[in-house]
Amino acid sequence: MSSQIMSALSQTSSSTLDLWKDKNDRLVEQARQLTGGSRLSLRRQQLAQDTLEGFRELLLTLQGLPAAVPALPLELTVICNYIILGASLAQGFTEDLTQDVQRGLERVLETQSQLEPKLQQGLQGLWHSVLSASSLLPKLLPALHCLASLQAIFWMCTDHLGDLALLLQTLNGIQTETSEDLLLLIKSWSPPPEKSDAPLILQDAEGLRDVLLTTLACRQGLQELITGSLPRALSRLHEAASGVCPPSVLVQVYTALGTCLRKMGNPQRALLYLTAALKVGTTCALPLLEASRIYRQLGDTAAELESLELLVEALSATHSATHSSTLKFHIEVELLLPKPDPASPLHCGTQSQAKRLLASRCLQTGRAEDAAEHYLDLLAMLLGSSEPRFSLPTSSPGPCIPELCLEAAAALIQASRAPDALTVCEELLSRISSLIPKTSLWENARKRTKELPYCPIWISATHLLQGQAWSQLKARKEALSEFSQCLELLFRALPEDKEQGAGSNCEQKCWPDVALKQLQVAALLSRGLEWIASGQDTKALSDFLLSVQICPGNRDGSFYLLQTLKRLERRNEAAAFWREAQNQPLQEEATWSLPLYLETCLSWIHPPNCEALLKEFGTSLL
Amino acid sequence: MAGAAAAAAASASRVHYLSDLCCPLGGRAGPKPHVLRHQAEVFLSTGREFVYVYDREGGVLTAVYQFPHQVWHLQLLAARRALYVLCARTGIYCLSLDSRDRAEIQASCEDREDEAHPPPVIHVDPDACVLPDAALCAFTVLDDMLVTLVQGPTQWKMQLFERPCPGEAPRPGGQIGEVELSTCTPPGGVPGKPAAPCFLPVLCCTFPPDSRAPHGHPQGCGCLTLEEALFGLLFGADATLMQSPVILCGLPDGQLCCVVLKALVTCGLAPGDPKVLVKILHHLEEPVVFIGAVRAEPHAEEEQREPLPEENVHSDCLVALGHQGRTLAIKAGWSESGTLVPELREYCLPGPVLCAACGRDGRMYHSTPSNLCVVDLTRRDTPWSPEKADGAIGGLPSMLCPASLNICSVLTLTVSSGASTGGTELLALSSKGRLITCSLDLNSEVPVPPKMTMANAGQKIKELLLDIGDASERVSFLKKAVDQRNKAITSLNEAMNVSCALLSSQEGVRPISCTITTSWSRLELRDMLMATCTLENSSSFSLDQGWTLCIQVLTSSSALDLDGAGSTFTYTIPVDRLGPGSRREVTLPLGPSESGMLDLPVTMSCWLFYSLREVVGGALAPSDSLEVPYLETLPLNLPKQEGVCLPLCKRTVDMLQCLRFPGVSSQQPARAPCVPGPACEPVETFLKTCQTPGSEPAGAASLRAKYLPPSTASIRVSAVLLRTALEGGHSGSHLCSATLQWLLAENAAVTVVRAQKLSSIQGTAPDGTDVNLTVREVSVTDLSPAGPIQAVEIQVESSSLANMCRAHHAIIRRMQTMVTEQAAQGSSPPDLRMQYLHQIHANHQELLREVQTLRDQLCTEDEVRSYSTAQKLLQVYKQLRNPSLVLL
Repeated sequence: MSSQIMSALSQTSSSTLDLWKDKNDRLVEQARQLTGGSRLSLRRQQLAQDTLEGFRELLLTLQGLPAAVPALPLELTVICNYIILGASLAQGFTEDLTQDVQRGLERVLETQSQLEPKLQQGLQGLWHSVLSASSLLPKLLPALHCLASLQAIFWMCTDHLGDLALLLQTLNGIQTETSEDLLLLIKSWSPPPEKSDAPLILQDAEGLRDVLLTTLACRQGLQELITGSLPRALSRLHEAASGVCPPSVLVQVYTALGTCLRKMGNPQRALLYLTAALKVGTTCALPLLEASRIYRQLGDTAAELESLELLVEALSATHSATHSSTLKFHIEVELLLPKPDPASPLHCGTQSQAKRLLASRCLQTGRAEDAAEHYLDLLAMLLGSSEPRFSLPTSSPGPCIPELCLEAAAALIQASRAPDALTVCEELLSRISSLIPKTSLWENARKRTKELPYCPIWISATHLLQGQAWSQLKARKEALSEFSQCLELLFRALPEDKEQGAGSNCEQKCWPDVALKQLQVAALLSRGLEWIASGQDTKALSDFLLSVQICPGNRDGSFYLLQTLKRLERRNEAAAFWREAQNQPLQEEATWSLPLYLETCLSWIHPPNCEALLKEFGTSLL
Repeated sequence: MAGAAAAAAASASRVHYLSDLCCPLGGRAGPKPHVLRHQAEVFLSTGREFVYVYDREGGVLTAVYQFPHQVWHLQLLAARRALYVLCARTGIYCLSLDSRDRAEIQASCEDREDEAHPPPVIHVDPDACVLPDAALCAFTVLDDMLVTLVQGPTQWKMQLFERPCPGEAPRPGGQIGEVELSTCTPPGGVPGKPAAPCFLPVLCCTFPPDSRAPHGHPQGCGCLTLEEALFGLLFGADATLMQSPVILCGLPDGQLCCVVLKALVTCGLAPGDPKVLVKILHHLEEPVVFIGAVRAEPHAEEEQREPLPEENVHSDCLVALGHQGRTLAIKAGWSESGTLVPELREYCLPGPVLCAACGRDGRMYHSTPSNLCVVDLTRRDTPWSPEKADGAIGGLPSMLCPASLNICSVLTLTVSSGASTGGTELLALSSKGRLITCSLDLNSEVPVPPKMTMANAGQKIKELLLDIGDASERVSFLKKAVDQRNKAITSLNEAMNVSCALLSSQEGVRPISCTITTSWSRLELRDMLMATCTLENSSSFSLDQGWTLCIQVLTSSSALDLDGAGSTFTYTIPVDRLGPGSRREVTLPLGPSESGMLDLPVTMSCWLFYSLREVVGGALAPSDSLEVPYLETLPLNLPKQEGVCLPLCKRTVDMLQCLRFPGVSSQQPARAPCVPGPACEPVETFLKTCQTPGSEPAGAASLRAKYLPPSTASIRVSAVLLRTALEGGHSGSHLCSATLQWLLAENAAVTVVRAQKLSSIQGTAPDGTDVNLTVREVSVTDLSPAGPIQAVEIQVESSSLANMCRAHHAIIRRMQTMVTEQAAQGSSPPDLRMQYLHQIHANHQELLREVQTLRDQLCTEDEVRSYSTAQKLLQVYKQLRNPSLVLL
C-alpha cells in the first residue's frame, strides 16, 4: 500500500487522483460482478468482504492527506460506496457507518476552514453548514447529495424524523418550515445529475431517494393502519405502491391496502387489491390470509375455507425461498422495512398455525368431517415426525399441544368417529402421564410451577371427552366412570387462591374461573344425562342440582333439573326452584371465549329449543 | 469424608500418557480445547488452528487438519461419519471420516516410510465450509438438524438449519428457523473485525426418553437424554407431547435458557417470537462453561440386575457450571403432597473451572488449574437423617465434596466407561499438550491393600512409579506456588520487623536513618545544588525487595507569584537489598532550573514505602501465565494504600545552606560561581575565574550596586541568650564568629569561618547575586532599667531583594527554633522597660495594619496606581525588617 502511495505521490497530483479513482471504479465493478451470487458461498462472501476492505483502505489513504477540494468528490463517493456495501453486507445500518458520514462532512468543512465552531452542533448542524457552504462548490454537489440520501435513510430507520425533515428542507433549499409532510419533501428534492467522468458509485442519489420515498410511505402507511387512521394509511400505501417496489414488498403493500379497505368497509375493493397481490406472484400467503378474513366478514364460509386451504398449501412451500439467499449490493426497500411482528396485520404465521385456523373454522362452521381430517393431519405433523418441520400452531406463549389434541378429539366425536377420538385421548394421556402427580393430591401445584397447573384441567377435559365418546358408543358404564374421574379431578383442582388465577393466566383469559365452572357444569350434566339414560333419575337429579348450584342461572342446568323433577312428579320442589330461579339474574351471554373443545362439548349437551320449553315449564308450574 | 474419598480416588486412579502433542496452546483468553472419542479414534483440538486425529490402538497421530483460524468447537456425528468443526470468524466445516480420506492419508504416510515422522498436515479446503458465517459462536449438530448461535450486534441469535452433509455445497434456504435470545454486550474491537470473545456460549441438546434421536452420539457431544419428569418439568407440556429435542444454551452472561427445537420453525420472513420460543431457566451470574446431566438416583432394576447399557440410562439431574465454580443442579422431585416440583440447588465448587464432564453414577468431573476433582451428586449423605430416607426419595445432596484426582491443569475431558472393569476412563488433555487417560475404579470405596506377593510385586512397583510420574507435573506446579508464597511471607516478616523497629524508636536514635546534606557541584557547565540523602541501616534487619525510598521535594512558591503553590516532586528509588550496617547514598539535583530559578526554601521529606502488591500480589497470582493458562488473578484484599509508609526525616534547605563564599571557601577553589543559564560560555567562565576575589563585580551587577541601594534586614538577639544557646558547640570562640558559625553550620564554608574566626562574610546566592552577612555586638540601652543589654545584631544585605528576604527568613527560622528550645529550658529574661516595649509593639502593629491595607489596595487597583502602592509596601516591609527589638 505504502509503496503504491509513494509511487503515486511521485507523479503529479492529478494523475494520483486518477489512480485512486481507477481503484474506486475497479472495486465498484468487482462488487457488481459479485451481485446475484449465493449468500451462502464462502468464497463470494470473502470476496465481498475484501472489496469492502478495499474501499476502507482507499478511504484511509484519501483521508490521510489534508482535505482538498479537487479530491473531495472522489472521497465522498468512496464513503458512499463503503457505506452502501457495508450496510448491505451486514443487512442493516450500524452506528459506525454514520461516523464515516460525519468524518466526510468535517473534511468538507476543513477545506472551507470553518470547522471549529461547527463541531458542537452535531450531525444536523454539520449538514446545515456543509450544504450552505457547498453552494460555492458545485463540483461537490452530486456526491454530497448521495451522502445526504444515505444519512436520510439512516435517520428514517432510527426514527429521527425531525432531523430527517430538517435535512430534506436544507436539501431543497427551503429556509422556512413550510411543510411537515416528509413525502412531499422527498418528492420535491431532485439530486443534481452525475457527470459522466465522475467516479463510479454503487447506487446513485436518485436511486437512493426513490428507495427512501417508497420505504417511508410504506412504513408510515403500516403505522397508520395499526393506529387506525385508515384514510391516511390508504393514501400512504397508495404512494408506496406507485413507487419503486420490489415484488415482495409490493405484495405486502397490496395486502395492507386490502386490510385497510376491509376495515373501512369496502370488502369488494379490498378483494381487488388482493387479486393484484396474488398476481405479483412472489408469495401468496399474505393475500390469502387476508382474503379469508374478508370472506369471513362477508359470511362466505366456503370461500373462506378455500382460501385457508390454499394458504396452508402456500405456506408449505415458503421456507425454501428466503429473502437473503442472494447477495445484493444495493440498499433496498426490503432491507429497510421492519420485520412484521405477530401483532402486525402483515404477519402470516406458519403452516401449522394456518392449518389450525382452518381446522377450527371447519369445526366452528359445522363441517366436522373436514375439521377432524385437518386436526388429524396437524397432529400427525406435530407429533409424528422426529424432526422439526413445523412450528407450533400458536403465536402466544404457553403450551398449546394439549388443547390441540382436545380440539381434535372433540372434532372426531362431532364427526361421529368416537373410536378415533378415544385413540387421540389415550395418546394424550400417555404422553402427559409423566407430568401427572403420582398421588392425587395437588393443591400446592399451582404455587410452584407456572404451566403444570393446567395439567389437571387438561386431564379432566380428556376424561370428559372420553366419556362423551363412550356415550356415543352406548357404553354407559365406561362413560359414567370417565365422567366421574373427570369430576373427581376437577373438584380437587378447584383453585381457592384467586390471586393466582388473576395473575398468571394472561394467555387464557377464561381460566380458571369461568371456564372451570363451565367444565364442571358440562361434566355434571353429561353424567346426569347418562344416569337418566340408564334410568337412575335420583342420581341424575343430584348432578343437575349441583350444576345449578355451581353456576346459578345456567339455562341448561335449570332445564334438565326442572325436566327431571317434573318426571319424578315433584311439582312443589320444581315450583320452588322455578321461583328461586326467576329471582336469579339471568346468566349473561358468554362475553368470554371458552376453549373450542369445551364450547363444542357444551353444544352437545344443550337441549334444543331450551328457552321455549323453559317458558312452558313456567306456565305449567304456576 | 471428602478426605477418605480423595484417598480412595487417588489410590484407584491409573494415569497413562498417550501422546505428547507439544502443541502451543492458546493463552488464557484463548478458546477452549476439545477432545472427542469415537471407538479407537480420538479427535482433538487444542484451541489453535489444528484438529488432530489420534489412533489409540496404533498409538499414533493419524491426521492433522489445519483450518484458517482457531478451532472453537468440534462435534462428531458418528452415525453419519462426519466431523463438524467451528472455525473462528469463518464458519462451520464438515469433514467426512470415510475410509476414502483415510486411505489417502495412509498412502501419504507410506510414501514417507518413516514411522517417527509426524503425519502430514492437511489444509482444509474452503469448499468444506458448509455454513460460512463470521459471527458464529457455537453450534450443535443433531441427526438432521444443525443449531447455531450467532452473535449479533446486540443480541444472540439461535438459528436452525437442515444439516449440511460433508462435501455438499451450501444450499440456499437451508435455514428453517431463527429466534433472538437475550441481549449480549457487544464485543470491543475494530468495527467489522470483532475481538474474539473471552467466553463462548455453550449449547447442549436434550432429548426426552422415548425419542429415537440420540443414539450414535458419543458422550461429551452435548447431547443428553433426560428422564420424563425432569424433561416435562423443565421444558413444558408441548415439548413433552411433541417429544421434541430441546436446545439448552448457557451464555457468557450467565443466563441458562432453553428453546424447544420443534417449535423453532419460522416462516421465511420473520424470526420467531422470543416470548413464545425462549424460556429462561436460571441465571448463574457468571459465564456458563458447561452443561451436563447425570443419573443421581440409581435405577430400581439396576440394583438387582446387570447395569443397564449406557444408552438406556436417562439422566435425572441437570447440571450447569459457571466459570468461577458456581454450580446449578436441577432435579425433579415430588413434594410431600405428591406434586411434581423442580428441586433446584446452587453449589460452589473450587474455580476457575477449565472444563467439566459428567460420568456414571451421579459423578461429575471438573478441572481447575490446580486439580481435577470428582463430585458425587447422588444423595448418599442421609444416614443421620433417617426421617427423610423413607419419604422423599432422592433429592440433591445438601453440599458437594470435591474429591481430588491429583491431576492438574486438565483443559478438556471426556468420560467413558471402561471396557472390562465397569470403572470409568477419563480422556484428558493437559495444559502442556499431553493427551492422557486416567482409569478410575471408584467402586472400591474402601481400598484394601492387597497382599504383596512375589508375582504382583513387580506390577505393584510399576504402578507406583507411574503414580509418581503423574504426580510430578502437579508437584512442580504446586512447589512453585508454595515457594512463591514462602518468599512473600519471609519478606512480609522482615517488613514487619523493620516497621516495628522504626515506629518504636520514635524519640531516640533510629535504627534506620536518613540524612540529607546539600552541596554545590558542577554538572554540564552549570552549578547545581545537589542534595545527598544517605540511607543508613543500623538495625539488624535488611531491607529487601518491596522497599522503596521516597523523597519528596517541595519548593516554596515564587515570591513573584502571589497565589502560586510550590511545586512538589517525588522521587522513588527502589531499595534493592540493604543489609544491616550498610548505607546507600542518593544524590538529587535541586536546582537551579534552566531559567536560573531556585525557589528557596526547599523542603525535603524522606520515607520508606513497602509495597504489599509487589510482594504479596506475585504470590497470589503467578506471573508465569503460560504455565497455568487459565489461572485467574484472585481479587487481592489489600488495603487501599497497598503498602506501608514509614516516615524517616524532613529537612528544609534554605538560603543559608545554599550560599557560596567565593572569597573564603577553602574546599571550592577560588572560583566565581557561574551564573547559570545557557549564556554561560566557557570563555566567560574562564575570565570570571581569573578575577581576583573580592574585586568589584563587573557588568550588570556593578551597575545595580551603583544605582540600586542594597536591601538590608537586621535581627538583634541578646548576647546572653545566644551565649547559652551556643555554649555547647562554639565555646571559647568570639561570640560574633560563633553566631556566624552557628548560622552557617550546614554550609560547607563553616570550617573557614571557624578557622578564621570571621564575623562577617560575603557570599553569593544561587542566582549569582551577592548576599552579605555581618554579625556585630551592640548594646541596647533604652530597653532595660537595669542598664544596657548586650546584644548581637545580624545584618543581611543583598542587592537582590528576593535573596535578602530568603536569607532573612532562613535566619529567623533558626532563631525561632533556638528561642523555643531556650524557653523550654526555662531561662528568665531580664528586667524590661515595659512602656518602651509597648511603644515598639504598637508601632509594629500599626505597620502591620498598613501592610494589610496596602495589600488589599494592591489587589483592587489598576497597574499605574498599584505601582506606587507596591513602592509604599516595600518601604513598610523595609521598616519591619529592621526592628529595634531584641530577642531575649
